[in-house]
Amino acid sequence: MIRLCIRYLNLIVLTILALIGLSFLLPFLFPGDLLTNISGITPDSNQQREALERAFKLDKSLFSQFIHYLENLFAGNWGVSNRTQLDLFDEIALTFPATIELVVYASVVSVTIGIPLGFISGLKHHNPFDFSVVTFSIVAYSFPVFWLALIFITVFSLQLEWLPTSGRIDLLFEVPSVTGFILVDIWLSDIPNKGYAFKDALQHLILPTISVAIVTTALFVRFVRRSIMDVMEKEYIIAAKSRGFTQRQIFFKHGLKNAIIPILPILALQVSTLITNVMIVETIFSWPGIGKWLIEAIYQRDYPAIRMGMLIVSLFVMILTISTEFLTRAIDPARERGVNATL
Amino acid sequence: MALLEIKNLTLFIDAGDETVKALEKVNLTLNEGEIRALVGESGSGKTLIVRAILGAIPDNWSIKADRITYQGKSLLDMSGEQRRQIMRREIAVVFQEPASALDPSVKIKEQIKESIPDEFITKAWPWKQNKQREELTVNLLHRVGIKNHKRYMECYPHEIPTDISQKIMIAMALASEPKILIADDSTRGMESATKTQILRLLLKFNETKKLAILFVSHDLLAITSMAHSMTVLYCGQTVESGKVKSLLKRPLHPYTKALLDSAPSFQVSLPPKSKLVTLEGTIPTLQHLPTGCRLGPRCPNARKECVMVPVPRNIQDHLYSCHFPLHLPKNTKHKVYKEVKL
Ligand code: SF4
Repeated sequence: MIRLCIRYLNLIVLTILALIGLSFLLPFLFPGDLLTNISGITPDSNQQREALERAFKLDKSLFSQFIHYLENLFAGNWGVSNRTQLDLFDEIALTFPATIELVVYASVVSVTIGIPLGFISGLKHHNPFDFSVVTFSIVAYSFPVFWLALIFITVFSLQLEWLPTSGRIDLLFEVPSVTGFILVDIWLSDIPNKGYAFKDALQHLILPTISVAIVTTALFVRFVRRSIMDVMEKEYIIAAKSRGFTQRQIFFKHGLKNAIIPILPILALQVSTLITNVMIVETIFSWPGIGKWLIEAIYQRDYPAIRMGMLIVSLFVMILTISTEFLTRAIDPARERGVNATL
Repeated sequence: MALLEIKNLTLFIDAGDETVKALEKVNLTLNEGEIRALVGESGSGKTLIVRAILGAIPDNWSIKADRITYQGKSLLDMSGEQRRQIMRREIAVVFQEPASALDPSVKIKEQIKESIPDEFITKAWPWKQNKQREELTVNLLHRVGIKNHKRYMECYPHEIPTDISQKIMIAMALASEPKILIADDSTRGMESATKTQILRLLLKFNETKKLAILFVSHDLLAITSMAHSMTVLYCGQTVESGKVKSLLKRPLHPYTKALLDSAPSFQVSLPPKSKLVTLEGTIPTLQHLPTGCRLGPRCPNARKECVMVPVPRNIQDHLYSCHFPLHLPKNTKHKVYKEVKL
């Protein structure tokens, strides 16, 4: 177990280093003035240029530049945005939680709907319910997310006028940002009409969450359904049946765990797809998340912002992926065999 | 009365565009306290019979039978719940490969504890119940000859050797103190020492607990050493069944004879380096089953009549399905068949 931890820790550290190294090299590859790319400031005079070059150690070797970059990175000193001249750390701290919020809600929806639905239709496969679930999942999976989001806006916001088209919360409410999660922030704040603010925020959440969650739910349904169908044909399930256990007992004691364990890494990998989709949906719903922020940065060629945004998003995805891998390894008894095996 | 009786069991497998009769009119009886061997090459449908008894049948299979009864009660007509109760308490199975018949994600201890029926737990309080279950588990492991139970209780199935898992499977099967034990090729691929151990174990339970055993195997040597009676299966048809002794002495069906002849240990006067007798050809695949007697194309005695399925006939508890049986007892008159018009 300890060896397993060390291995994964090692993996995480190395990957982080590689990602940071890559992000360090990015400004050299971007077009334009290197100094502006790194600092986010366009120098007015030669004096300022020299001062900046000294500050970013551009006159020193590449290695000391990297060390300087690392220091700044860990100190939260991420430079300023080209476009707004605001501190990048603050900007990301403001936008990233909004994205994570959407990711979390969408995954909660996908897990709570997709997994049980997959189990039910896999256990009772080839009946009308199963067919409708499969049809739903194929159809839902085939929709492009941005198109789905637009259709939702057209139908539910413009035609039916049930739900708002964009933003996180009505501008009337002024919620101070503490955690960055809007629902938590509302709960923590002491604004009047908390209940209304809550309801309003929820209404704003529904459409973006659903448009992202639909695709992931469809995927989850398909994975889980396939997996449980395979497991229920295994000999140990037949053996359990032959021992006269009840269906419930067989499913909860022997089916569930064995069906989930092998697909857990695949399910976890969907998080990266989810984040991509969230970033697209953010742009459509003007959700103030990192996806919208990054796309704007790309439009404006705000290289420092692009660099930091990409680094943070990729770090997030990477850490998430590796830790779920680790979790699967830790809870799957049969997997440990590979770790302990010696030649 | 027979404990388990199967009469004219036909099992259809729906293979997309066609339906094949994987089993055709199979008959099998198992009496109380008896060890019956079910013999046949691989692919002859032994496992299918076991699955039919268990009722663990995939969607694309279907069953037709005159009767499948347990102690006179029809297994086919009873409700799922009744049948489950019977499987829970009365019939137990030891599967072919212990490694895949144990749940890979649950500890051995838990799996054995689970197979102990609730009725055996007499204590009232949950923690005492758990303790009692544990004691019963240890007891079971001792009974099947696993002395150092501590070593294996906390293991996962992939961490223990095959022979131990097979013993654990037997322990789990015996946990509910069943009347019938079905051993589905349980000794396949085992070393002979372990095999003997397992067989002895089964024999012991047969003798002490009057446990009826349906021993499915193709290992003739093991069968003749322990079984009382046997049923020979070829290609989904029962060809012959009866007491082991009389079958060995005087096989009536050409297939039984060929089977016995192909095993060198049954031939007393086999000169060294002589050829073993075998039937020509191979077992037909499910897609290309011959009509009538399925041995037809390979049978040395085959004649025109064999395109009809032979009706099983009974001579002194010796059942055979063949139009032209080998050495028939002299006093039995064999009915001469009308020629079949083709
Ligand atoms: S019925 Fe005919 S083909 Fe079949 S075993 Fe008897 S003699 Fe051979």
